[in-house]
Amino acid sequence: MSQAPNGAKAAWALEMRGVTKQFPGTLAVDHVDFRVKKGEVHALMGENGAGKSTLMKVLAGLFNDYTGEIYIDGEKKELHTPVMAKEAGIGMVYQELSLARRISIFENMLAGRLPKKNALFIDKKAAIEQARKSLERVGLGDLDPTINVSDISQCDAQLVEIAKVLDSNPKILVMDEPTSSLSSEEVERMFAIIRKLKAEGLAIVYISHHMAEIFEIADSVTVMRDGKKVGECPIGETNEEKLVEQMVGEPVKDFYAETQRHISDEVVLKVEDFTRWGFFHHVNFELHKGEVLAISGLAGAGRTEIAKALIGVDEHHGGKVYLHGKEVNFKNFGEAIKAGIGYVTEDRKVLGLALTQSVADNVLSCVIDKYSHGILYSNKWQNDLVDEKINDMSVYPADRDRLVNSFSGGNQQKVLMAKWLAADVDVLILDEPTRGVDVNAKQIIHNVVKKYVEEGHAAILISSDLPEVVGLADRAVILREGHIIGEIPKEGITENSLLIAANGKGEYVTCQK
Amino acid sequence: MSEVNKTAQAKVDTRKTEINKGIIIFNKMGIWVIVIGLLVLGTIIAAAGGGNFFQASNIQSILEAVALQGMVCAGLFYIVYAGNMNDMSIPLTMALAGMLTVQSINLGFPVALMIGIASGVGVGLVNGFMIGKLKANPIIWTWGFNLLISGIVRVVWQGRQLYADSVAADTEYAQNAANAFYSISRTYLTGVFSLMALVMIIMFVISWFIHAKTSFGQKLKMVGTNYEAAKLSGINCSRVITLSYVICSTCSAIAGIFYAAFRQVASYENGTGYDFSCLTCVLLGGTLLGGGKGSVIRTFGGVLAYGILNNILSWTGLGTYEKYTVQGIVFLIIVWINTYSERKLGRG
Repeated sequence: MSQAPNGAKAAWALEMRGVTKQFPGTLAVDHVDFRVKKGEVHALMGENGAGKSTLMKVLAGLFNDYTGEIYIDGEKKELHTPVMAKEAGIGMVYQELSLARRISIFENMLAGRLPKKNALFIDKKAAIEQARKSLERVGLGDLDPTINVSDISQCDAQLVEIAKVLDSNPKILVMDEPTSSLSSEEVERMFAIIRKLKAEGLAIVYISHHMAEIFEIADSVTVMRDGKKVGECPIGETNEEKLVEQMVGEPVKDFYAETQRHISDEVVLKVEDFTRWGFFHHVNFELHKGEVLAISGLAGAGRTEIAKALIGVDEHHGGKVYLHGKEVNFKNFGEAIKAGIGYVTEDRKVLGLALTQSVADNVLSCVIDKYSHGILYSNKWQNDLVDEKINDMSVYPADRDRLVNSFSGGNQQKVLMAKWLAADVDVLILDEPTRGVDVNAKQIIHNVVKKYVEEGHAAILISSDLPEVVGLADRAVILREGHIIGEIPKEGITENSLLIAANGKGEYVTCQK
Repeated sequence: MSEVNKTAQAKVDTRKTEINKGIIIFNKMGIWVIVIGLLVLGTIIAAAGGGNFFQASNIQSILEAVALQGMVCAGLFYIVYAGNMNDMSIPLTMALAGMLTVQSINLGFPVALMIGIASGVGVGLVNGFMIGKLKANPIIWTWGFNLLISGIVRVVWQGRQLYADSVAADTEYAQNAANAFYSISRTYLTGVFSLMALVMIIMFVISWFIHAKTSFGQKLKMVGTNYEAAKLSGINCSRVITLSYVICSTCSAIAGIFYAAFRQVASYENGTGYDFSCLTCVLLGGTLLGGGKGSVIRTFGGVLAYGILNNILSWTGLGTYEKYTVQGIVFLIIVWINTYSERKLGRG
């Protein structure tokens, strides 16, 4: 029993056989076989909710009631607790970082096993030295281990996390969306580290929704759908279309279909000299009816800050905003919604949705006052509206009474969009509207945005996903360090031009700051 | 667009599995299972001692015992539900309302009553402004405010206790007012049902209505579940939180007036311990301490369970320490059942 048959011992670093995990009310993972060779990067793909994360959580030892067999290096292991998984050689790098932000890097890395000088005091010097050695392994040799995690970049934090996991000498490293919040240069850095680890003989499971990344870094790929495995092959034997088809279960057509949209000359929103000291300065732009305007730039350029000041959540120190030609100055977001501006937040879990309440509660949360009679109010009065909007968004399962936290990430994002469709605003600011969602959900959201502007509304798009900007935007203004430095017309928007302009170079940059 | 829609609608949830029906019923019934269980237990224990648990005088004493607590819980529910954990200023809100009512008894009973209730509204507005608007820590602020009121009350009345009949002037009008004040806690409808219990039930009905049927209740749900998300849905969170404190303090003030009438004395000590005993009732009813989950009706169930348990314990003739032990065990069982059924439903 303790050995895999057919002498497969050397070949597979990890072999999961018939693994099944059931949650109350759903079968999350259904008899899945999953195997990874030594020294390979194995991509695990699937839509949100396909069961990838649950399968990896089984591997991490988070469930004591899974069924099926797990072999590591040909040896059968029981992974019923995180400690057992760690001892078996599993290292997990999670999407949401597990570092404590307010304490230093070395304390984070050596948490629970800080070297001691004597019974009372820790040996800080030795600890720092130990941490530095681990950091070198991920190319962070010159990072000072005594600074706080909150003071380093997202990319460095991600690498510190990896270094921390590597410290326990895992045989299998699982990385869940490690690049979701990194810029393209940082992704390259991350990949270099991954290639190095692969050369060291580590088996790496790589979860990502970015197709391009998968084809760049992975050696083979396993696809899951609805809790089951639907395919496994070396990366050379598949292509983007095939993978998407496997994930979705049917062919997906015209990912960014070219549609001719009518953009009127009517200015819906005009922003003049808009300033919040330290965040953005003298921002000017106009938004036309029927238009998707991208505010493009690097993360941290001040994109989200502009949005939050526009809707009255954050303060601003100067400038004027005109909505439909009338000057507005919102004191809170409620006023902005009433006037017709909505904001789809970038962080659906923390800022967007009340996860432990129902779909109906969430979809109607912007319009409680609008649909109340005097002090009286009931969600049930608007059942038709909720059903219409969740059908528009293809929320699955389309059940308005279901709690939002029981949906997959992609469907949660659709609920968030449905909420803003229900709010019936003229201008929608979309802040990373498809972050961390799968291809199918992404397409649905894009189609809805297109339909929304075609109906005579307007949208502002803030996105780090360049293909998304290329596919959706009718015009892009370039924001760099809080200043608008140029504008790209529809014909000029390509991933390249956006990237070059975001770095302050290229033909579209008209004023240098 | 329409194509995508069709496929999504045709899609069936293939992974859906059955959940144990018993657990669902148990989760829905929640505290009422406990209440019924306690009633059965009470009947048995009373019968074993040769008594009748359901005799009028016993029911009356249960209701009377929980009436004051229930009035406070009808309001405290909103604080817990909004995610602000507890209102530590409940004891002195109760005491202050009692003292102001007695002090102003010469103005006639209705006016005195209004002044007492108004003091609750005032306390609620201050708490709400500090916590809802200025984002003070809810526990520390209400605790500090409790101390402050306590100090003021003792300084103003120099630590004296107030008796309505001696505060009242030597006129028939004032003495009648004092008598009316005393009588509110001793009025029985149809001979059995105490006015205090009736007031408690009316307050619970109003509280249920506000929570379940108004736009404020719906907004509170969003604020209690996720404050930031509520803010980014255009909900005026400060106003919602402020209103929740006004409701809570008003309920506490009404309870405080009845308390003073019941004890026949208004003192700064009235209401001591009500902050935590009432929080216990609210939590027994299954309200989540983190906010966003719970119901007024179940809170009422929590109040009843608390009262019935104490009543049963008095039938058993156990000593105080043994009573504490049994109380602790029963409360822990209730909390465990709540969390267990939630987890089995995949919500824990």
